[in-house]
Amino acid sequence: MITFDKVTKKFPLGNTALNDVSFEIDDNQFVFLVGQSGAGKTSILKMITQEIKPTSGSIIIDDFDVTDKNFSQTINLRRKIGIIFQDFKVLVDKNVFENVAVSLKVIDADQSEIKTEVKKTLELVGLSKKEFVFPVQLSAGELQRVAIARAVIGDRDIIIADEPTGNLDPKTSWDIMKIFKKLEGKKTIIIATHNTDIVNSFQKRVLVLKEGKIIKDQRKGGYEL
Amino acid sequence: MKEIWTSIRRTPYQSFSAFLILFFTLFLTLILFVSLTFLYGTLNYLETKPQVTVYFQNKTEENQIFKVRDELMSSGKVLNIKYISKNDAFNIYKQLNKDNPLLLEMVSANILPPSLEIYAKKPIFLPEIAEYLKKQGDIDEVQYEKDIIDKLLVLTNTIRTSALIFFSYLILMSIVVLTTMILFKIALKESEITLLKLIGATNFYIRKPYILESLFLGFSASLLSFGIFSFVVLYFNPFLQSYLKGITTLSVDVFNYPLTIWPLNYIFFGVVFISISLFGAIIASVASYIATNKYLKV
Repeated sequence: MITFDKVTKKFPLGNTALNDVSFEIDDNQFVFLVGQSGAGKTSILKMITQEIKPTSGSIIIDDFDVTDKNFSQTINLRRKIGIIFQDFKVLVDKNVFENVAVSLKVIDADQSEIKTEVKKTLELVGLSKKEFVFPVQLSAGELQRVAIARAVIGDRDIIIADEPTGNLDPKTSWDIMKIFKKLEGKKTIIIATHNTDIVNSFQKRVLVLKEGKIIKDQRKGGYEL
Repeated sequence: MKEIWTSIRRTPYQSFSAFLILFFTLFLTLILFVSLTFLYGTLNYLETKPQVTVYFQNKTEENQIFKVRDELMSSGKVLNIKYISKNDAFNIYKQLNKDNPLLLEMVSANILPPSLEIYAKKPIFLPEIAEYLKKQGDIDEVQYEKDIIDKLLVLTNTIRTSALIFFSYLILMSIVVLTTMILFKIALKESEITLLKLIGATNFYIRKPYILESLFLGFSASLLSFGIFSFVVLYFNPFLQSYLKGITTLSVDVFNYPLTIWPLNYIFFGVVFISISLFGAIIASVASYIATNKYLKV
């Protein structure tokens, strides 16, 4: 479970990214974060991954109180989270297999487990025939599949995606979203997006942000601003 | 190993520059290290020779000589004193000239003076001891290698101080240059490091490839330095043998264990190689540690 309680984030220059935001996300829930650019979607995601810390309020992710002053479990927390970026962030000097395997290597998984898990995950995202291909030979859609595979492999319970379809054409976007659909109910999925069609079509929980505040929390919602 | 090669291949100029700077540092360090070792070995060797020899007049009573000996021993500046009586001196003379009967016939024990061979605790006490002896009565002559000892002391101190300054500069320079080189390499992988941090990699996991590559370069540079050094030393070995003729052994204390440095031997070469490799590894590790630090604050 992810709990944000009265979370505010003010940057040193004075702009407020989040203002007194509170919400809860249950385990294995599928949630869309929507809102205009600058509404605070990315700030929420970055606070979950501990890239930025709130100015006030508390954030609890599973058993971790990440706002506790003595919190020192950042690495363990991050090992529970899979991240997908708009610009994919794949490692250009590693092939598809190695890009996905890196998620397990950082947690010191053994070689046989890495081999089995990577093959299984590449099958899930439809890249099983391209495991030895390098990123330069892949399309944007395929690169995002690699990023998704890297995010979901292993025991990562929470998947957060920041505009995962932002750089993709509509058809590829749908293909990517189908992968998320496959993961529904197995992992907590939080997707920040601008894609109206996708949000409306999925009919999942939608948190609508505006100027750093949650203005709507719809259990089965569509894209409304 | 494969990853190290890949990294070197992808940034060959940075890797080569890092290697060159490491080689330069290690080779100079090696020369300084061996030069200082030989200087200390020579000092130790000189300390095993009688440093002050005092010859008494022929008429001097043994009691008088023993009095001087006891006073010197109680001064705390003397390590050992050997008394050479007239008869001892004659025996030494006989031994030295056993092949020359004519010289043996001309000399008897009576004309040889009794003497004391004095070994000081530190060479700096020698002038003081010599001055003390000159003030005693019944002294015929005080001999000590003042000039050589003084020069060697001054030389050793000068080289040690200069080496320390030069050595510190070398370390600083090589660490700064190496850090910069590694920073160039890491800058190309900044987004990769950020990603690794976000998916839960430990700092050690991120640092490991850079440290391993630096260690590899450090080891290669120390191997090359040692190879060139060994070749030069072995090439000039005949010259060294004639130059150090008469000196059978030179040794220095390493953690209370005597290490023989002359004649050249495998153990000495081994110690030099291990020391220079360790030094290279330390410089390389420190530089890569500093360089990676900058990118680990995600």
